[in-house]
Amino acid sequence: MTDALPHSLATEPTTASPTKVVARDINVFYGDNHALRNVSIDIPDRNVMAFIGPSGCGKSTFLRCLNRMNDTIEEARVSGSLCIDGREVYDKSVDPVVLRARVGMVFQKPNPFPKSIYDNVAYGPRIHGLARTREELDAIVEESLNKAGLWNEVKDRLLEPGTSLSGGQQQRLVIARAIAVQPEVILMDEPCSALDPIATARIEELIDELRKNYCIIIVTHSMQQAARVSQKTAFFHLGSLVEVGPTEEIFTNPRDPRTQDYITGRFG
Amino acid sequence: MSVISFIALILLVLVAGGFYYGRIRSIRLVQGDTVLLHSLPNYHGYYAAIWAGLPAFLLLAAYGLFSGFIVDRLAAIELHTQASGLNARYEQLVDTDDRFRDLEQNVILLGARVETINAEIDTARSGVVQPAEQVALLRQQALDLLNQSTRAEEELRLYSQQLAAQVSESARSEGVSLVSLAGFELEQTPRERRTLFLSDARRLTEGELASRDTPELRAAGAVISAYQANFRNFVAVSALVLGFVGLIRAHLKVGPGFRARNSVERLITTVLFISSGLAVLTTVGIVASLLFESMRFFGEVPLHEFLFGLQWSPQIAIREDQIGQTGVFGAVPLFAGTALITVIAMLVAVPIGLFSAIYLSEYAGSRFRLTAKPVLEILAGIPTVVYGYFALLTVGPALRALFGAIGIEDVDLKSALSAGLVMGVMIIPFISSLADDVINAVPQSLRDGSYAMGATKSETISKVIMPAALPGLVGAVLLAVSRAIGETMIVVMAAGQGANLTANPLESVTTITVQIVTLLTGDQNFDSAKTLSAFALGLVLFVLTLIMNMMALRVVQRYREKYD
Amino acid sequence: MTDPTPQNSLRDTLAERLPRRYRAELRFRAAGLGAVMSAMAILLVLILSILNEGLPAFSVHNLVLPVSLERELVDQEGDASEASLRRGRYGAVLQNAMREEFPAVTDRRELRALFGLYTPLNSTRLMDEVLADPGLVGTTHVFRMPISDELDLYLKGQLVQDRVLPTTGRLELSEQDGSGVAISASAGFADLAGEMRRSIQLEADRLEVRAQSSRQAMQIADADERDRLEAGAARAQRQADSLIAAINAEPGWIALQGELPSILVQADGRILKVSALSTDGRMARGEYLVGEGDAEPVAVWSLYVIDTPETRRRVSDQVIAWTRALESRGRIERGFNHYLFSNADSREPELAGVRGALFGSILTMIITMVLSVPIGVFTALYLEEYAPKNRFTDLIEVNINNLAAVPSIVFGLLGLAVFINAFGLPRSTPIVGGLVLSLMTLPTVIISTRAALKAVPPSIRQAALAVGASKTQTVFHHVLPLAAPGILTGSIIGLAQALGETAPLLMIGMVAFIADAPSLGLEGFSQPATVMPVQIFLWSDAAERAFEARTAAAILVLLALMIGFNALAIYLRRRFERRW
Repeated sequence: MTDALPHSLATEPTTASPTKVVARDINVFYGDNHALRNVSIDIPDRNVMAFIGPSGCGKSTFLRCLNRMNDTIEEARVSGSLCIDGREVYDKSVDPVVLRARVGMVFQKPNPFPKSIYDNVAYGPRIHGLARTREELDAIVEESLNKAGLWNEVKDRLLEPGTSLSGGQQQRLVIARAIAVQPEVILMDEPCSALDPIATARIEELIDELRKNYCIIIVTHSMQQAARVSQKTAFFHLGSLVEVGPTEEIFTNPRDPRTQDYITGRFG
Repeated sequence: MSVISFIALILLVLVAGGFYYGRIRSIRLVQGDTVLLHSLPNYHGYYAAIWAGLPAFLLLAAYGLFSGFIVDRLAAIELHTQASGLNARYEQLVDTDDRFRDLEQNVILLGARVETINAEIDTARSGVVQPAEQVALLRQQALDLLNQSTRAEEELRLYSQQLAAQVSESARSEGVSLVSLAGFELEQTPRERRTLFLSDARRLTEGELASRDTPELRAAGAVISAYQANFRNFVAVSALVLGFVGLIRAHLKVGPGFRARNSVERLITTVLFISSGLAVLTTVGIVASLLFESMRFFGEVPLHEFLFGLQWSPQIAIREDQIGQTGVFGAVPLFAGTALITVIAMLVAVPIGLFSAIYLSEYAGSRFRLTAKPVLEILAGIPTVVYGYFALLTVGPALRALFGAIGIEDVDLKSALSAGLVMGVMIIPFISSLADDVINAVPQSLRDGSYAMGATKSETISKVIMPAALPGLVGAVLLAVSRAIGETMIVVMAAGQGANLTANPLESVTTITVQIVTLLTGDQNFDSAKTLSAFALGLVLFVLTLIMNMMALRVVQRYREKYD
Repeated sequence: MTDPTPQNSLRDTLAERLPRRYRAELRFRAAGLGAVMSAMAILLVLILSILNEGLPAFSVHNLVLPVSLERELVDQEGDASEASLRRGRYGAVLQNAMREEFPAVTDRRELRALFGLYTPLNSTRLMDEVLADPGLVGTTHVFRMPISDELDLYLKGQLVQDRVLPTTGRLELSEQDGSGVAISASAGFADLAGEMRRSIQLEADRLEVRAQSSRQAMQIADADERDRLEAGAARAQRQADSLIAAINAEPGWIALQGELPSILVQADGRILKVSALSTDGRMARGEYLVGEGDAEPVAVWSLYVIDTPETRRRVSDQVIAWTRALESRGRIERGFNHYLFSNADSREPELAGVRGALFGSILTMIITMVLSVPIGVFTALYLEEYAPKNRFTDLIEVNINNLAAVPSIVFGLLGLAVFINAFGLPRSTPIVGGLVLSLMTLPTVIISTRAALKAVPPSIRQAALAVGASKTQTVFHHVLPLAAPGILTGSIIGLAQALGETAPLLMIGMVAFIADAPSLGLEGFSQPATVMPVQIFLWSDAAERAFEARTAAAILVLLALMIGFNALAIYLRRRFERRW
């Protein structure tokens, strides 16, 4: 883990597992509610980072900072410095639309749009104008569905509504939708909490597959899941980042007593 | 009425006394140890009060509603019996009068010939080959016959009146009682005028202004008022008896083991149940009255002529040779006018209402929303008559000036455009509040999903929220259309009355609702096709709006279920 | 596509399209804002146009006349009994007062015009004042009455285009050969004379042009048309010639003919209508409209020009002259239009008021409230708290939702067919109006009550049931009180809607002209009445222009009532709103 400061990372990192996201002293307020306090963390590329912690600890809030989804909440304020690839996310010149194309997101409940499977995946490329011809678009859709491991299941029913799929399929559809715009970072907010164990297993496999190309950050309630899918884990409590480190270390040898209590099930 | 008020006062005293008595008695029966009672003493009181008051008050209410009707009936029967002698005399006169018989036969004969020629026209029309001239000729003949027959009927009517006048004249000179004469006059009055006769009689006895004042009417009035007094006294006594019987019943029932609370609660539940039945009753009333009067209308004017006829002129006979008919009832111009105005209104209301809802729910800050929403609510609360005045005062002249400025001079002050525009304004808040509900029902997760893909707000709205909300929006627009079709005052004041079959929004057109108002304000004669056609139009209006409401409610409900 | 496009080039495409996307975003947003703003603007225009039209109607010009209530006119029996006072000739009293003001008027037609300054209905008002205070008999009483509606509009400046020109120097009025002559020492008529000459010349030119164009058109027209055009050309030419002749008829004078503004010279209590001006601007000649004879030269005088020609307005110069004379004598005062609130409808706009309609509305609303609120609440209670889930309750549900959207006019048809024709209830009365409106309001009350009941959390019900309360006790002791504010708000909104409803009441004959307000007692429910919105509808249809303003004023009264109702609803909602 490097202790690099944001400004020192102004150039493109080229190391094997370079740092993708650097956060320093992030504070988030919802109106008068101080939801996140002084969070500083470095997140490596081509890796899965898990955020764990009890409900309301701020892990989702932090996740939503990364693609500025908090902007859509009227009374949310964010302070501190957050860089992706050395570029300040909260800089005035940064366009959230462009940012969100680079930082994809998958939500707790599968939320396919009320459109066909094809149109769901093609949504991003269409609004961003990423495909010039119908063939290009077809190719993007196929590739994305392939990457999400859904192609074989849906290739014959691409024009059926996305909502007709099962819960696990819907969630993979949403992941396909996210990767169709070729993001660099994928945020996942408890992606399996609404799914049954089999569907969960498939998603976890998928996450493991995607790790090769993307920086993945996953918020999860389940410590087992964090242990299964992530290489690094961060523990949040009452709006603060308590501890971050290699997953193995956090689960076997936590440094902070609060982490210890949470992992052993004393609260949460 | 004063007797009734007095009885009502006594009943109120009974109710209060009943409550007090029931309470006290229940306490006494257990020597003050109220724990022994099944129900609290108050419930015993309520029980007694209800039995003392409810049946009697129901009787009084029924009396208030139906007494006029019942008394009129009773008096009419009385007058009829009184006049039986004169009636018999008149019948005899009619039977023996040659001229009458000739006239009557003439009417029957002509009627039969009209039937025959109508049948001939029908066969000629349905035949494979028929020369148009032949049909036209037949039509002409039919029309002539119809006129002849109407004239003959008129003659017969006049002559029978003459005979009746003879009878009553001779009776009067013989000194037959005025009541009998009144009964005879009532008998001779055409059915639809009898109510007027009775109400005149009633007014004369009450010293009010009547349309006529004759000794016969006064005699009839005396009969009515006698019945009225008797009936009133009968009801008053019955109410009192009911009150006391109720009290006695309560007296017998009240006791430690008596489940007064259950009885009272059962009654409350029954009252609630009956209340909720009233909504159904209202619908039944609407359907029944519309159907009943429409049936009478369609007895005179064929359904297909009403639904597909291109000419609407209920007041004036269109052809000079038309006798016995009031006009033509082809409702297509009204449907077209209604449609034209509705389309214009929707062109105004749907974009403005929809975009307002979108802006307020997706873009506007909370402070702006707090000022803009009340504005829309105010628009929704303005009475339609005010909108009508606005159309008449401001929009009509403004349109005329506007079109005059670009060289179109013949713009009516009352035009489809001005009525449609103002109606559109009226419907804006309706659409925007329905659309607001619908848009807010779209789950936040869909918005999040779209924003997380890097979509802008407008992309999210037009590509995700709108398609998701589409069924709800369709429902909202359907409800709005139904509202526009049924809107009355704006079109009455701003659209005009000429039944033009036109698609030009600058002309004045008329609508279903305007015609209902026009036909039913002013003098009414409940047997004329003119008045009855209003009910037929009402039926069309009701069915149209009902279908749309049903569709809209179903669509919206499905939509709600989808996202709930 | 096997190889993914390099992400960087993707970003480029994305960036390329961005400006276009943001422009679309801006357009969309602007459309939304435009929609909201246009709704606001329409409301503003609506309210402003009604205020603009209606506010003047809240003031009225009164004639304030000293009337001498001579005993032989008003108390013919001489015993000051009510019967005798009721037979008094109050019309004659008013006429005498007017005669007193203008003793020179003797011609019968002129007298009739003079008495047209007020409506004869005012004699009844005078009688009422005398009946209220019989001591007035034999005295001179200062009586106030509204001036006729046309003159009220004139005095408010809404009837004619007019102006008062500045004057200097002395003016001398005299009478020569039956006509009045005004001599201005400072040639005060010069400007006006020039203006009149120009406009006569202009009119003559216009006629000339018309004649010429008619003649030209003749050459290509057919025979019939030619005759018509020729006649038109000749007529126009004649008129033009006579106008030119009028300017030149008498050397040194311009005769005022044709459609020209009226010029009134006002000095020393006299009013002279000018029919000719001297070209040097020193003299004006015409007839006296008020006053007569010679007058001393005066320094203060005014020149009053009514630009709307006499033929194009409904008040004559004579009537205007009387009005101005009365005004200068202090006989006309502008005051609050209390007639609008103290009178019922009237054929005379100046005496028409909304009192009858207001009372009718109150009575109708009482019936509506008494019927629709309890029945609506009961129905909602049954459906929400008691009803088993079965076909019948489903039917009721669908029914109520549909009833809420049935056009109001259909309820009117129901009222006509059932209440009036089948039950024989009296037409045009608040009782039938109230019945119809309560059926119409019922669904609104039911729906809002159900919403209020639904908002009461089930835990409250469970708590009450758990301590052994019966179902009914639970509902009436706990649920209903908690839902009451919501029910109240919904009911008030429903009643406000009913208050503004017009169409169904037209069906049941509440659209008649009713000159007496119904009494605010039990018997009022069965007296013929009308209601505020119907009154507005009736007035908006009236021919007199003065009714236009009164319509708008009545609308303002109605809107004030509705705002009051809604404010009450909002206040109750804020005051008692409870959130769980």
